[in-house]
Amino acid sequence: MGSLTAPEVGEEALDPDAGAWDSIPSEGVPLVPVPIEAQLNAYVRAAWTGRDYGRSGPVELALARCGGRLLARLSWDGSAVPPGEFTDAAGLLLPREPGTASPVTMGTHAEPVSLWQWRDRLASQQGLPSAKYLVSTGPGVFRPVPAGGEVSARSSRAGARWSVVLAGPAEALATGSVGVAVWDGANAERAGIGAVCATWVEVTP
Amino acid sequence: MGAYGANGDTGEGAGAPGQVAMVFDLNKCMGCQTCSVACKVLWTREEGEDHQWWMSVNTQPGLGTPKGWEEMGGGWLDGQPVPGHQPGRAEFGGGWDFNYQEVFYGGTGSSTHLRPIDHGDGNTGWGMNWDEDQGGGEYPNSYYFYLPRLCNHCTHPVCVTACPSGAMYKRHEDGVVLRDESACQGARFCMEACPYKKIYFNYARNVAQHCIMCFPRLEVEVAPACARQCPGRLVFVGSADDDESPIHKLVHQWEVALPLHPEFGTGPNIFYVPPLSPSRLHEDLSIDEETPRIPPEYLESLFGPKVHAALDTMRRELARVRAGGQSELLDTLIVYHWSDLFGRYTTDPATLDRSPGRVPVRFGRSPGTPTTG
Repeated sequence: MGSLTAPEVGEEALDPDAGAWDSIPSEGVPLVPVPIEAQLNAYVRAAWTGRDYGRSGPVELALARCGGRLLARLSWDGSAVPPGEFTDAAGLLLPREPGTASPVTMGTHAEPVSLWQWRDRLASQQGLPSAKYLVSTGPGVFRPVPAGGEVSARSSRAGARWSVVLAGPAEALATGSVGVAVWDGANAERAGIGAVCATWVEVTP
Repeated sequence: MGAYGANGDTGEGAGAPGQVAMVFDLNKCMGCQTCSVACKVLWTREEGEDHQWWMSVNTQPGLGTPKGWEEMGGGWLDGQPVPGHQPGRAEFGGGWDFNYQEVFYGGTGSSTHLRPIDHGDGNTGWGMNWDEDQGGGEYPNSYYFYLPRLCNHCTHPVCVTACPSGAMYKRHEDGVVLRDESACQGARFCMEACPYKKIYFNYARNVAQHCIMCFPRLEVEVAPACARQCPGRLVFVGSADDDESPIHKLVHQWEVALPLHPEFGTGPNIFYVPPLSPSRLHEDLSIDEETPRIPPEYLESLFGPKVHAALDTMRRELARVRAGGQSELLDTLIVYHWSDLFGRYTTDPATLDRSPGRVPVRFGRSPGTPTTG
């Protein structure tokens, strides 16, 4: 996999359909299912062993900087099925320490990763923020960042294709690599049941 | 991996002397829903909680709430979690919006009837007490009884094990199963895993919610609202491990209070005194003295094989009293003094200090409470 740059852009790039993204190099990031054997939760293993999940992707990923913020544009083919109990979601994974092992487990207890997670909202959920700044220590083991982490997201949809721009503090990119994850809501994917990149994508300073 | 959870969540609070338990005497429940309403007005009046009835009473036999919950899976089998179905909005039903605008201001009030508005999520086809009093059997042997249900605050809470974010936990001091809503990510594996399907989802806030056994009341020795408000004096509250408590006597000494669906394997801490029933009638309407109206096999399907001995004990004690004798068991179930129901939880909530700024409860995990993740 190649590497990405994160050029400086204007505020208009917070819009996933802004023309500013046309000139920014992107990378097609393939995804794999989060391994069932990596699931820490006995119930999740029992409920999902043998079930098909994590087939989303690839994700077209592009990065930019806007002031002190890192912007990540993720674009992928979502489910054509209207949302039921669960909605589509996507996330940007950011290792918190250099040398963090593969993102395929969404971090570990010893090597937590940051997760900027966007989730589509049902009509009844419009009062909720569309993005969260989480710390992940394993598949689905997500906890809110106690303080200091503001993440926002804007999304658009053309047919089944989602485009989402996540924006958060640029210092989260300190390790120089990122990963992505996608959850197919129509398949009831959530928490550790989803698709994730198997290797980090390097970001050239 | 050991039994009862991969994350070290073994429900360590269970078995501790402080585990709070409840006993519902189904022979006294009249299905008035006072318990349901007491809970509703206290805990589930916020946005997204319209359809939530942490305490609810259903008619048995029946499909209950959520619709068909007994067939939705979950629980434990041989120490391993059993995959379950996550009930959705349509299966819970209720929480309806009504066409008040149309009826009162639409100019068609004489021809338009008040009705729930269908928002397309199917919730108008069921509700928390939809099949009230339908029951089972055929006339003249039709029968029904009421079954109050709430979170069982289980000894082996599979919901805690199923929560990937570690939001759910079982309090060490009293075994109450709680959820840190700030940590809940809305994954809803708890709803799948709970075999009693007594966990609801707040769509507006993206968090699951369930009965908290009125823990802020317990902490100041006030009985849970459902128990205190019950006009039938049928809800006992206390510790099953206190040898002198009615709970202990009903569950362990006389063994007439049984958990619901013990085969689910979670070790409920809510117990039920099963219902006695009148005798069946023959086709000629003569009385079949040997056969109770409620089929014993149906009661066994709810409360397990120990239900037969429990009913035998009840009948034996009734016979003793009818013959002029005394029965401590029946005296306990009669509850001559309401305060006998609640052990140490007899504080009158009207006497509590509610001055502004006072924080009357300890909110959150206590030190040593096991967590997931």
